[in-house]
Amino acid sequence: MYDFNIEAMYPFFDKLPAAIWTTVEISFLATIFSAILGIFLALMRRSDRLMLRAIATTYVEIIRNMPLLVLLYLVFFGLPAFGIVLSGFLSGLIALTLNSAAFMTEIFRAGLIAVPKGQYEAARSQGMTRSRMYLSVILPQILRVSYAPLGNQIIGVIMGSSIMMIATVEEVTAWMNNTGAVTYRYFEAFVVVAVVYLVLCQGTNLLRNLLGRLIFKSVAAGGRW
Amino acid sequence: MILLEFGGTLLRGLGITLWISWLALLLAAIIGMIVGVGRTSRSLPIRLIAQIYTEFFRSIPTLVQLFLVFFGITFVFNINLSPFAAATIALALEGSALMSEVVRGGIQSVGAGQREAARSSGMRAWQVELYVVWPQAIRVMVPPAVGVYVSTLKASALASVIGYVELMQTGLFIRESVRGGPGGLTVLVAVAVLYVIVNFTISQLGAAIERRSSFVH
Amino acid sequence: MSTEPKSPGNGRAQQNPILRVEGVVKRFGENTILNDVSFNVQPGEVVVIVGPSGTGKSTFLRCVNGLEDIQGGRIVFEGQTVNARSRKVIALRRRIGMIFQNFNLYPHLTAVENVTIAPIKVLREPRDSAKERAMELFRKVRLEHRASAYPSEMSGGEQQRVAIARALAMNPSLMMFDEPTSALDPETVGDVLTVMEELAADGSTMLVVTHEMAFADHVGDRMLFMDGGSIIEDGPPEELLRNPKEERTRQFVNSVLRPDTARRRQSNGAAADPG
Ligand SMILES: Nc1ncnc2c1ncn2[C@@H]1O[C@H](COP(=O)(O)OP(=O)(O)OP(=O)(O)O)[C@@H](O)[C@H]1O
Ligand SMILES: [Mg+2]
Repeated sequence: MYDFNIEAMYPFFDKLPAAIWTTVEISFLATIFSAILGIFLALMRRSDRLMLRAIATTYVEIIRNMPLLVLLYLVFFGLPAFGIVLSGFLSGLIALTLNSAAFMTEIFRAGLIAVPKGQYEAARSQGMTRSRMYLSVILPQILRVSYAPLGNQIIGVIMGSSIMMIATVEEVTAWMNNTGAVTYRYFEAFVVVAVVYLVLCQGTNLLRNLLGRLIFKSVAAGGRW
Repeated sequence: MILLEFGGTLLRGLGITLWISWLALLLAAIIGMIVGVGRTSRSLPIRLIAQIYTEFFRSIPTLVQLFLVFFGITFVFNINLSPFAAATIALALEGSALMSEVVRGGIQSVGAGQREAARSSGMRAWQVELYVVWPQAIRVMVPPAVGVYVSTLKASALASVIGYVELMQTGLFIRESVRGGPGGLTVLVAVAVLYVIVNFTISQLGAAIERRSSFVH
Repeated sequence: MSTEPKSPGNGRAQQNPILRVEGVVKRFGENTILNDVSFNVQPGEVVVIVGPSGTGKSTFLRCVNGLEDIQGGRIVFEGQTVNARSRKVIALRRRIGMIFQNFNLYPHLTAVENVTIAPIKVLREPRDSAKERAMELFRKVRLEHRASAYPSEMSGGEQQRVAIARALAMNPSLMMFDEPTSALDPETVGDVLTVMEELAADGSTMLVVTHEMAFADHVGDRMLFMDGGSIIEDGPPEELLRNPKEERTRQFVNSVLRPDTARRRQSNGAAADPG
C-alpha cells in the first residue's frame, strides 16, 4: 500500500503562496485584456464593413482551433526571432490573452445578438451618442446574457494558465512539477494543487452566481455551461 | 525548404495526434455516458456523485491530470505507464467530464411532455428512454460531442510535455534539429496550421450536422 | 368498449362504474391542489370537466393516469386501484388513452410511427398488423394522406388528430383529453372536435377537460364544474349551463359564454406557450 505522506510537502509550502499569486495574477490580467479585445472583435464581427468582419472571424477561427500550447510556443519562440525578447510571464500572458480573446469574442457576440434592434433605435432616438448608447443601454443587457458564460471563460483561463509553466512561469502547476520531481511524491503534490485549483474554480463559480443573483436578481441556474 | 524535408514527418505526427485523441474520445464517450445519465438520475446521491465527478475533472487543468497519471500512478501503484497510456487516460478523464455535460444536456433537452406521453401509453421506464428520449437526445448531443473531440484534439498537444511524440512534439524535435536556423519557426507555424485546418474542418462538420439535425418545431 | 346506445340517466347508476374517484386529495408540498374530489364515470359516458385556470383539472387527469401520486382518497379504474408508485400502473396506463394540450407527438417519428410504436413495443403486436390498424385509425381521424409526415410538417389540428389515433391504437377503455383544442388555431379546432364527437357517438368512455362549451353541451353526458381543487357542481351539461345551482358555476358560465370574453379566451389560448 502506498504510504501517503503529506508532511513531505511541508518544506515546499513556503513557495506555494507565490505560485498561487502568479496563477491568479496571470489569469486576472489575461481575463481583463482578453475581455477588452473580445468586445472590440465582437463589434468588428457585426460591422458593416466586410474587411473588419473578415479579420475578426479569421482571428476567432484560427485561435479557437489552435492548441494553447502551440500558441504559447509561437509567442515564446517566435517573438525573439523578430528581436523582441520578453520574460516568460509576459510571453505567457500574451498567449493566454490572445487565446481567451477568441472565446470572449464569441461570448460578447452572442450577447450582442440577444439585444433587440429596438433597443438601439430607442437609445438613438433619445439622442445618445454611440459610446453612451453602448455603455448605458447595450452593455448592461449584454452582461445579463453573458455573465454566465463569462464565468466559464474565467475558469477556462485559470485552467489554461497551468500551461504557462512551459514558458518557465512559476505558477501552481510548476510548483507541483518541481515538488514532485524533488520528493518523488507527485501524488501528494497533486492533492495540494488540486485543492488550490478547486478553490479557485469553485470560488469563481460561486462569485459568478452571487454577482448574477445580486445584479440581475435572476436565479443563476448553477450550471457552468 | 524545411517543409519539403520534414513534411512527411509532420504528417505522421498529425496521424498520431488524430489517433490518440480519437481513442481518448471513445473512452470519454463511454465514461461520459454513464456519468451523464447519473446526472439526470432521480436518486440524489447518484446525482451528487456524478456532479462531483464532472466538477472535479473540469476544475483540474489537463496538464495537472497528465502529471498525476504519468508520474503519480507510477509511484502510487508502482506501475510504469507509457507516455501514450498516460496521455490517453488523462485525455479520456478530461473528455469524460465534458461528455457527461453533453449527455446531460441532450437528455434534458427532451421535454417533460415526451416522457409523459410515453409513460401514459404504458411504456416501461427503459422503453421510454430507449424509444422516445434517446433517439431525440442523441441528435442534440452530436454537435457538442464534436466540440469535445476538437477540445480533446487540442488538449492532446499537452502529451508532448511528457514526451509522447505526436504532432506538437514532432514539431519541437524538428525545431531542435535545425537549432539556430530560421526554419525552426517555420516548422512551428506549420504545426499550428495543421492543427487549425484539422480542427476547423471538424468544427465545420459539427456545425453542418447541427443545421441538419435540428427539429423544426 | 361499450356499444350500447347513449341512454342518459336511467339504469346507469346500477352499472359498475369504470372509474371511481373517492375523496382524492393531491398536494404539492404545502399547496393542496385537489381537495376531496369524488365522482364516478360509467362505461360509455362522456364526462366534461370545466373550470377556471389553475384549479387542478390537468393535475387530476395526471393522477388518474398514475403520472402523479395522491396524498389521500382512492382512484379505482376497472376495479383496480391506481397507485402511481406501483409497477402495476404501467399495465393500467395501457388501458387509458391520454391526449395532451400540446400533443406531445414524438418529433423523431413519422405520424404512423408515432401511432405504432406503443402497440409494437408495449403490446408486442406484429409490425404489419399494427400498421394496418394505424391506417384504419388514420381514416377515422381523416389523416390517411399524412401518415408518413413528421410532426413538424403538420398543423396543430393534424398533430392533435395523430395524437388521438396514437391513443386509440392501444384500444383504451377510457380516453382522457386535457384541453385538446386550447393550443390550436381557431380554424383547425373544428376538425379535432368532430373526431371527438364521432368517438363519443361510437360509445367511447371519455373524460374531457375543455373550454369548448358548445362541445360540452352537445356531446357531454355530464358536466363537472371544478374550482379551487374541488367539484362545485356535477350534473347534465344543459343544467349547469342554463340553470346552475351554485353561484360560482353561474359566474363561470357567464364569463365563458359571453361572446366577447369567449373570443378573448380563445385567442389567449392560441397565443399561450403550449408548455
Ligand atoms: N409539479 C407541480 N409542482 C407544484 N405545483 C404544481 C405542479 N403541477 C401543477 N401545479 C400547480 O397546481 C395547480 C393546478 O394546476 P393544473 O395544471 O392542474 O391546473 P388546470 O386546472 O389544468 O389549469 P389550466 O386550465 O390552466 O390548464 C396550479 O396552481 C399549479 O401551479
Ligand atoms: Mg391544465
